[in-house]
Amino acid sequence: MHLTGIDLLFWAGSFLGHIILLSVLLIRRRAKEFPVFTTLISANIVRTIVLFLIQQYGTKADYFYTYWSLAVLDVMLQLGVAYEMTSRIFRPLGEWARDIKRSLVVWIAGSIALAAGLTWLASPPTRLWIQTAMIRGNFFSAALLSELFVGMIVLSVTAGLPWKTHVARISQGLGIYSVCTVLIEAGRTYFGLKRGTHTYDELSHTRIAVYLVCVVYWIIMLWREAPQPREMTEQMRRQLLALQRNAGHQLQSLRSRRD
Amino acid sequence: MSTRTVFFFAAVVVFLVSLVAVALYYYRRSRQTSEKSWEQLLGRLTFIDRDSVARIALDYVDESGQRRTDDAAAELEPTQISKLIGGLEGLEILERNSAVLIDLAFYVQQWYPEAVVLAEDLRLTAREIEWHVERLRGAAKTGNLESSFASYAQPAIAKYYLMTQRVLALYERGDIAMLLDLQRTI
Repeated sequence: MHLTGIDLLFWAGSFLGHIILLSVLLIRRRAKEFPVFTTLISANIVRTIVLFLIQQYGTKADYFYTYWSLAVLDVMLQLGVAYEMTSRIFRPLGEWARDIKRSLVVWIAGSIALAAGLTWLASPPTRLWIQTAMIRGNFFSAALLSELFVGMIVLSVTAGLPWKTHVARISQGLGIYSVCTVLIEAGRTYFGLKRGTHTYDELSHTRIAVYLVCVVYWIIMLWREAPQPREMTEQMRRQLLALQRNAGHQLQSLRSRRD
Repeated sequence: MSTRTVFFFAAVVVFLVSLVAVALYYYRRSRQTSEKSWEQLLGRLTFIDRDSVARIALDYVDESGQRRTDDAAAELEPTQISKLIGGLEGLEILERNSAVLIDLAFYVQQWYPEAVVLAEDLRLTAREIEWHVERLRGAAKTGNLESSFASYAQPAIAKYYLMTQRVLALYERGDIAMLLDLQRTI
């Protein structure tokens, strides 16, 4: 398989970008806070190395199966990141906020149904069924992820739950990348693979370029510290705890009255 | 291009435009809330007759928030509650003010992250008030507003009253100037 200059540039850029991002996550101690996101970035580094080595020394079939196996892993990890960000926003006290559970389930089910419906409509011109499955699979994951990230924004604003600085930055990057990917995958669906891979490759370059912009954004944003909170006095802490205990009793009594 | 492909692209365009529009709308809404100053947040509060709110609430719960079980409890009739609060419009004001109270609690949370427990408690209470008001709107549509006041309105008003008491208590321990502003409004 022949690699063009731009292929090598993207390969090197992706490898370097992920190495810098992983260093930022480790140096700034964000890895502990975002373990799934850190795993995604680490997996991308491993993927870049493995695919490069297979491309140099392996067969076309080796490359094909490795590429798609790792692509499935990548999608699973992106869904894992979506879960990680969701749990940071909707579990303010360590448990899922009770008023949000139902909306979350409805949103996830609706997102899967809508993404599946759109994917069913796609009919890319291809020679092999596996090419159709590849293009449709990519489209489905992009549509689903973009819906999930937009859903997170809608639900958090509706419920009045804030986003912490770094959660917002990771989600923004992945959300914008997913929306752009929907557009790119729609293009791939139109052009397909029947008349060769030229347009498919061009769209792949566009997708990698968008992703690299996101990586740079994450490097800058995760390097920066979140705004520093002030420290509460011991007296205020005690009063707040007393207030909270009282509020819990009040709420309980009101609920029993309503029932 | 086949009919199915045309449908696919039409659906993708609608999907993407809707997704981006919804994301931008809510993102802008969240930015507007987080960028508000203390004075701007206060300015969003609508004046409420605190005495009426206290009268309805204290007919239902005592000052500590416990359910009243004495003989004089729950004396107010639905029509009286409706009149005191200003009907459905009055409840909608309570609902809007609840949203602002959450923002006020967030203001404290921004500087004191330990206040997340109280903020969450206030947020959940406000969401319950929204729930009550939504049901009252439904009752208003079917012409059962008056009879629904006792079951939905009084608990909502009592919750609002208790919530404002908690916010006032929180600010009382923080900033007296802020407290005076807040007392004038809620």
